[in-house]
Parts: sequence; structure tokens; C-alpha cells
Amino acid sequence: MAQFDVGKIPVRQVSTGQRIVLFFRKNSWGYAFVLPSMLTFAIFTFFPVIWSFIISFQDFRPRGGTTWNGFDNYVKAFTTQNNVFVTALKNTAYYAILTVTANILIALILASLIQPLNKYAQTFFRAAYYLPAVTSAVIIAVIWRWMFNTQWGFLNYLLSLFGADAVRWLSDPDIALNSIVLSTVFTAPATGVVLFSAAMGSVPKDLYEAAELEGAGPVRKWWSITLPLIKSTTLYVVVLYTIASFEVFEKVYVMVPSGVGDSTQTIVTQIYQMLYSNLNYGVASAQAIVLFLIIATISVFQFKFLRSDVEY
Amino acid sequence: MTKRLFPQYQRFGLFMAMALFMTLMLAACGDNTATPVPATTAAATKAATTAAATTTSAATTSAAATTAVATTAGATTAATAGGASVSKSGFKGTLSYWALGYAPGANTGFSKSTDAAVAAFTKANPDIKVEVVGYTADQAGFAKIVNAVQAGSGVDAFRIPNDSLPVLVKQGAVAPIDEYITDADRSDILPGLLDTVKFDGKYYAWPLWVPPVAMYLNVDIFKEKGVDLPKEGWTYDQFVEIAKKLTFTRANGEKVYGYSALVDPGLVDTWPFILSDGARPLSADNTKYTFNTPEGISGLKKVTDLALVHKVTPPDFGTQKLDDILTAMQKKLQAMWSRPSGDSATLKANGLNFQIIHMPIGKSGKAVSAGGIGLIAVAANKDKARLSASMDLVKYLTSAGVEKDVPGYYLAPAARKAVTVQEPFSFFAPIAPTAWITPSLPAWTQIRTLIHPNLQNAIFGKMTAEDALGQPTVEVNKLLAAQ
Repeated sequence: MAQFDVGKIPVRQVSTGQRIVLFFRKNSWGYAFVLPSMLTFAIFTFFPVIWSFIISFQDFRPRGGTTWNGFDNYVKAFTTQNNVFVTALKNTAYYAILTVTANILIALILASLIQPLNKYAQTFFRAAYYLPAVTSAVIIAVIWRWMFNTQWGFLNYLLSLFGADAVRWLSDPDIALNSIVLSTVFTAPATGVVLFSAAMGSVPKDLYEAAELEGAGPVRKWWSITLPLIKSTTLYVVVLYTIASFEVFEKVYVMVPSGVGDSTQTIVTQIYQMLYSNLNYGVASAQAIVLFLIIATISVFQFKFLRSDVEY
Repeated sequence: MTKRLFPQYQRFGLFMAMALFMTLMLAACGDNTATPVPATTAAATKAATTAAATTTSAATTSAAATTAVATTAGATTAATAGGASVSKSGFKGTLSYWALGYAPGANTGFSKSTDAAVAAFTKANPDIKVEVVGYTADQAGFAKIVNAVQAGSGVDAFRIPNDSLPVLVKQGAVAPIDEYITDADRSDILPGLLDTVKFDGKYYAWPLWVPPVAMYLNVDIFKEKGVDLPKEGWTYDQFVEIAKKLTFTRANGEKVYGYSALVDPGLVDTWPFILSDGARPLSADNTKYTFNTPEGISGLKKVTDLALVHKVTPPDFGTQKLDDILTAMQKKLQAMWSRPSGDSATLKANGLNFQIIHMPIGKSGKAVSAGGIGLIAVAANKDKARLSASMDLVKYLTSAGVEKDVPGYYLAPAARKAVTVQEPFSFFAPIAPTAWITPSLPAWTQIRTLIHPNLQNAIFGKMTAEDALGQPTVEVNKLLAAQ
């Protein structure tokens, strides 16, 4: 058999134009199918983000007369309105830490309780716990607002049955934010329950059997087998809930529309106020970019420290 | 070997490049043509206080003047047998009118009268349809309308309080009315009111009414406790004494409170108390913050003492919504409520037995109220016919003709001499002249947002009145200086 020297095999030179033609012949249908999604992404996500980034460096006037003002908006974002944005950052961080931790724990516990049930019971409980996810967040907030009403609310009615004084759930600055946290915690973490439930279902049963043979109890099995093997789902749920908690708005806006001092100011309510009350597009955009950077940074850290041996 | 033209990472770059290209194409489609916008003046506020002082006589003008105004032809309209005029704009289509406090199908006085007024206009102008959109009378609602007008589409005419107008005028979002206002209009509108809407030499809105804050007395609760109704000229101390008597628990456990009011950045319902000792938030020329004076501090203390010392307010005082207080009044769980005139129609429609009285007098020795001027403005529009039709609609909605077609349309002392306001709004007519009018300044929306959380914190007992009014000083003065 003839020996071929690969280096000496003649190669036909292809021009750049021909390469482009070949590329599109090979991949055009793929890009055609991706095009609608790409257009949607460009129009409704990429374009607004880029434009917002540009506006954050401008004194923007919607009807003309826009000027550039460098980093002034970023400085004003933190110093204007009696530094209320700093208060909003603290309040949002407080809200995020409490709600993410509580939601993850509650979702894990509920999913663990659902897992041993039979198939029909599992389906029923997964659907039941998923109901909050398909209910309007505004409606949930309105209902909670009435439950927290100091004079006519259900919670104070329950307290009155035990002879306790009424609590100013949404009108005491020391309590209002915690009331909002409570409303989030007591609304079942729908997505987390379903995702954890699905992840637990995919854990090989023989691992549990082996653990039982070794004498492991339910808690030990949960801690040593279930939790490590659903780590990828945990990472996803943590990131999801963190992003959602930093973007909290409708709960605060519906439950305390006039605010409670600045005790319930969050990042997004502050952006909303800066934009729609003060009509300051530049500062509002700067605050939005700050929020974006915060979420991105936290997400990167979460991926870095929770990822380890995660496989997708 | 053929060189790979598009390695894996380059495909991602191609995707992002295409997205960026589309973004730039979309950005290039925007119209950034600079349009001249007028400067706003602080003199508009001064004119407003003069205007309020003349409202009393305007509200009691006889019907003869109404007829005279109705027959005066405007530049673009022809008079009809009813109050509504036929528009000569030539516009055929649908106009969008954003009305403060309107809710479609709602059982409120304003919603019904707005529907009736619009129906009268469209009856006289069959080619023009009017779609009414409502928004709430609080910060959230004002933010909604301002944003809608700024967007430049979907709004032709809109109700707006005077203190929210300047920022829109500054953005070039409002059409001047100079071309459409006649000499008859000028002489009919109360003196000084037009000056509150004048910016850079042009007028930018049609004044509708001046709704001052007054005290609503829930008469049945007074009767229940055997307390005499107060008389005009009552003092703050007398008010507190009455409020204490009217704060009690019924045998069935229901708690009744003596007083409440809304506390919101867009409202001044509690401000008559703060102003009652002589304080004003800004200097006469609107260049300096003056709320942090001993008079202002003692005035604010009058409000905070109601909650913290005398305990005559509901537990949620400072964070209540309008529905909370309306419900409390209608269920006879609240004895007194300071509020402008608009909600009197709702309370009357629901059969509540109430009376209106001026706010209690403070150390200034004079009765003081607070409020704004209700305006209807037209959004800037390059379509001349549409703009003209919108002007005709707004002119009608602020005229004496609309009261002729829809008796009870005016929910506050009117801005025109020719309009005779019906009860219960006529009770507010003597109060309007004493009202401090919110300033027509572009920075006012930011200033009131700065002050509001401090007022709340003072009511909650988290801040002293001195700190509450002193803290915004530096930033408010900066905003005023930047104008």
C-alpha cells in the first residue's frame, strides 16, 4: 500500500467568499430557526440594556436636548434623595438573605416530604405547591395587604383570639420590611419545590439501599446522599431566587405604595421612583446598571463556590 | 487542511455581533431632534395664591354669566344648543383623555360626570370618539400619567395638578394653548390662574378647578357621642378635644377614631395643620426652603401629636390608602377626615351624613388650607387636526358649558367665573381663597418626595419634627438653586 505523506497531499485553496458560502449552506437553516429568538432577545433584552447603559451616562431628555454628563449619574444615584439608594441597597440585601435562605430550606423540606409519597400524591402536591407560581404576584400582594391590615386584617384577628395586641404589620417602620419578608416566605416556593422534587426523583435508588444496609437513617441519607446529588439543582434555584429577591418590586409597591419612611425602599422601587416621580432617566438608568452589576457579581460568586463538581 | 473559518467561540461572537447590529439599527430609528422647550418660572406660584383668593366670588356667579360664556365662539368651535361645541378641526377618530380619579363603570361622582361630559361632547361631534383612561390621585397615579405623556403617544388630553405640569412642559410634552384661548376665555378664567400655567411667555393648560383641603365631619358619629358640631373658626385645641371624645370603642368591639388623613408624596391632606402656625415650605420667590422654621416644626408637631400624644388616629395613620379611609368613613369608624372636595361626591352618593368645615386655626390666627389647581392639558402633537380636536375637547371640559350639560360636573370651586358649583362642592368655595397652592416648579415633585418619608417618620415617632423638616434643607436648596 502506498504510504501517503500528509504534508505533501495537495490541498485545494478555498477563497474567503467561498468559505462564507459554504458556511451558510451548512448552517443557514440553523440560524434561520434561531432568528426569531435572536430578534426577541435583541429587541426586548439586549437593546434596552444597551440603551439603558448609554442613558446612564447622559442627562436624557425624551424629546430632545440630551447631553452627556459622564459618571455624574452614578454619583447622584448614591447621594441624591438623602442617600436613599444606600438604604434601598441595605433593605434589599436584608430581604434577599432572609427570603432566599428560607425559600431554599422550605423548598428542600417540602420536596423531601413529597418524595416518598406515591406517584399520584406526588403529582397532586407538586401541582398544589406550584399554584402560587401561576397566580398573579399582584393579587397575592393585595391579599397579603389585607391580611396585614391593622384594623381589619386576618393576622391581627388571630392575635386577638389569644388576647394579643394588634401589630402594625405594614405601618411600623421596624416591622414593615419583615412583614414583606414574611409574606414571601409564607408563599410556597413553587419553582423550588418542583425542581427539587424532580431532582430528588432522579437520584439512583440503589444508593439509598446501600446506605440503609450500612445503617444510615433517613436524616443521614438525606444529608449525605440527597443533598450532594442535587447540588446542581440547588445552584440553579439559589441563583434564581437571588435574582428574584434583588428585583422585588410588586410586593412592596402594592403593600406599601406610599412607603413607610424609607424602611421599605428597595432597589427597584427606588429606580421606579427616580424614573417616574423625578423623571430622572439618567440616574434611574445608573441605578439599574448598579443592580445589574450586583446581581451579576453575586451570580458569579455563587457559580464559583457552589459549582465544584456539578455536571450539567 | 482547510482552515476553520468559524471556530466555536467565533459563532458566539457572530451571534452577539448580529444582536448588536440590530440594536444599533433600532437605536438609529429614534428621533433625537432637539426641540426648543420653554423655561419655567417661579412667578407662576405667586400668581396661584392670588388666584385662589378670588375663587369665592367666582363660585357664586349667577347663571346669566354662564349663558354669556357659552355663546362666545372659540377660534375652532361653533356653539350648539347644548354646552358642547362643534369642533371645526376636521379630525375624525378617537382621542384619548386621561382623567384623574376616573374608573370605568365606577359608582363615583367623577366617573359618572366624566362619562356624561364626554358623551355630550361626542354627541355634538359624532366623528370624534373619546376614550377615557383613569389614573389614581396619588404618587403612583401621577407617575403613570407623566410617563404616558412623556412616551408621546396614547395620550391626547390629560388631567393633571398644577405642580406636576412644569416638569412635562420642560420636557416639551405639552402643547401651548395660546392659539386656542380667546379673550372671552381669558376674562372668564379667574385672575391669576392662567399665570400658574404660563411658562416662557406661553400658556400650557386649561384651569379646571381649585379643590382645597377641608375637614369632613361624620355627623352621625357626633350625634352618637352627643358632641356638638364645631363652628367655623375652631382652633386646633378645640379640634383635639373633639377628636378625643370621638375616639372610642363601641359595645360590639368596633374602634372609632377621631381623625385621619392620607399621607402621600402627591397629596397635601395634612399640610393645613403644618401650615397653620404660619410656616410655608418655600420662600415667596421659591428660591429657599423655609419649612424648617419654628412655625413649621410646631405645625408638624400638631400632626404627630395626634398620633403619638392624643392617640386619636388609626394605627395605620401615615400609610393608609384612600380605600381604607373611605371605608372607615362610610362604616362610621372615623369621625373626621381632612381631604379635598372630590371625595365628597362619593360620600354623598353612598348616603353618608357629613358636613364640611374649614381646617382648625393654628397660631397664625387665620384659617389655612392647602391644595393645587386642577388643570387639563393637551399633549404635544404634530398632527394639527388631532391637536385642534383635543383643544376643543379640553376647552369644553373646562367651560361653563359642561356644567350646563352635566350638572354637578364640577367637584370643586371652578376656575371660571361663569360656573356655579353645586352642593356639596359649593361648601368648599369659601375655603379655596385661604388655600396655599402647591408651587408650579419642575423641582417640586422631587422636593415633595424628599419631604414625604420624613413626615411619615415623624408621625411614626422615629424622627422629631425638627429633624424631619430640617434634614431635607441642603438638598432642597440645591434643587431650587439648580432651576
